[in-house]
Amino acid sequence: MNRFLTLLNKEITELMRNGKLIWLPIVLMIIGISQPLTSYYMPQILDIAGNLPEVASITIPTPTGEEVLSGALSQYGTIGTLLFALATMNVIAQERQNGSITLVMVRPVNEWQYLGSKTVAQLALLLLSLILSYCLTWYYTNLLFTPVDWQVMLSSLVMYCFWVLFVVCVTIFVGTIIRQSSAVAGVSLLFLALIGLLTSLLPKFMEWSPGNIRGEATKLLVEQQWTESAWTVIGSTATLSLLLFIAGVMVMKKYKRY
Amino acid sequence: MLVNIDNLSKQYKEKRAVSNLSFNIREGSCIALLGPNGAGKTTTLQMLARLLTPDSGAIQFKGYAEKDYRPLIGFLPQHPSFFNWMTAKEFLTFAGKLSSIPKEQLHDRVQETLRFVSLEEAMNKRIGGFSGGMKQRLGLAQALLHKPKLLILDEPVSALDPKGRRDFLHLIEELKQDMTVLFSTHILHDAQQICDEVLILKDGCLKWKGSLPSLRKEFDLLPIKVQTEEPMKDIIEQFEIIEDYEYIDAKTVKVRLLEHVHHNELLQELINQKRSVTHFEIMQDSLEDAYMKVVRQ
Repeated sequence: MNRFLTLLNKEITELMRNGKLIWLPIVLMIIGISQPLTSYYMPQILDIAGNLPEVASITIPTPTGEEVLSGALSQYGTIGTLLFALATMNVIAQERQNGSITLVMVRPVNEWQYLGSKTVAQLALLLLSLILSYCLTWYYTNLLFTPVDWQVMLSSLVMYCFWVLFVVCVTIFVGTIIRQSSAVAGVSLLFLALIGLLTSLLPKFMEWSPGNIRGEATKLLVEQQWTESAWTVIGSTATLSLLLFIAGVMVMKKYKRY
Repeated sequence: MLVNIDNLSKQYKEKRAVSNLSFNIREGSCIALLGPNGAGKTTTLQMLARLLTPDSGAIQFKGYAEKDYRPLIGFLPQHPSFFNWMTAKEFLTFAGKLSSIPKEQLHDRVQETLRFVSLEEAMNKRIGGFSGGMKQRLGLAQALLHKPKLLILDEPVSALDPKGRRDFLHLIEELKQDMTVLFSTHILHDAQQICDEVLILKDGCLKWKGSLPSLRKEFDLLPIKVQTEEPMKDIIEQFEIIEDYEYIDAKTVKVRLLEHVHHNELLQELINQKRSVTHFEIMQDSLEDAYMKVVRQ
């Protein structure tokens, strides 16, 4: 346990020193609040762009607060996921490539502690960014649109956190297999996209899929109640993430060289 | 006996890096692992440090029941790489915590080790700005921080400049009073300076093991070269202090004396025989010859 905490402490300090703990929350906050802001100013933006013929009269219905928040969730689903994978891709690959992992593994550290510290630190970073960003987005939404109840916001946030958990576990697992950090991000994103594709192609068989998380979170926003399918998705995502973590540890135990 | 290495083998894709390597490490000894590049030295040391899993064979520390003996060893890789954003002190503290040095002792131990490798002044600087020599010394510091029983150093001096190399060898010499040291090098001179035993590897096989003087002896080297004005025929053969000889020409001969015979006695005998010595040399590179013989075998 002590070694785990030492490693975790090192990971967190590293995140602070290399600035990830600063830029990732900021970027994610910008992505989040751009949703209510662009929705609100859309008529003016269209006016300024001014390419519409005079005769075209368009009326853009003002979205509700819930719709704006679900729009933000969809931004997290695309650009956000890309960022999550990019931020996580080199946590193991880099240490293996430059060899600094040897000075850790030559001490009595086991694979659980090593991978656990990486996963927890990365989760802490991404969840912190997500929470800050989503709360800020919620604040702007309440200012500019119809207010959204905080419990509704919170339940959709909790739901969405599981997507982050899943992305981190996939990326770290891929990171234990592949040494090239860009390839780690590529393979992870491909895998996540494949899950999303299968989920939309075969909805009947993929009710448990982590790809449904965003849909469920949106449902929580709009219909404002936990359904049974939400629990199914949470359960399966948590289980899959745990399995991926265990698989990652197994892969590391099989390493012939670090 | 500290460690028993039995039948260690490692195969890379096509190359057999180490094959059936067996040897013992005596407690308190200082052993050099010699051999040309690609002989399997690094592979052997990495297997000893448990960074590489051998295909077969066993490594057993005497009196240590657990399979994971990592608390007992300190390892300095050939090119140590650190977390460049840390300072030297932070890195050692981090390493010490991973090796479970008790909290009360950790601070003192870190200071003491930094002083030993003369990095005290740089201890609060980022490792990213360190020179190669400083990184090597920090590498040594992290290897001996937790007072391991066996210190494993992979080519500790080959990347250093002449002064750094001398300083580093002095450090190792001091360390060997307290712990068993095993280091690899391809430079015979380094081994000659500080160690009492050598292992010579070639193509992954152990070619020779023992002390350096016995290496010289075993390979029938004739380390003294004598030249006289008169031919020496029939004189050398009579000397009882000579163990072996070889004529280069009638006036020049290479000899090996019996053990415990001082080379002055040879001079004395020659003078007694009324020979005027024009050249008398104790050849320093004879060890190199022996090494080359082993490697070429």
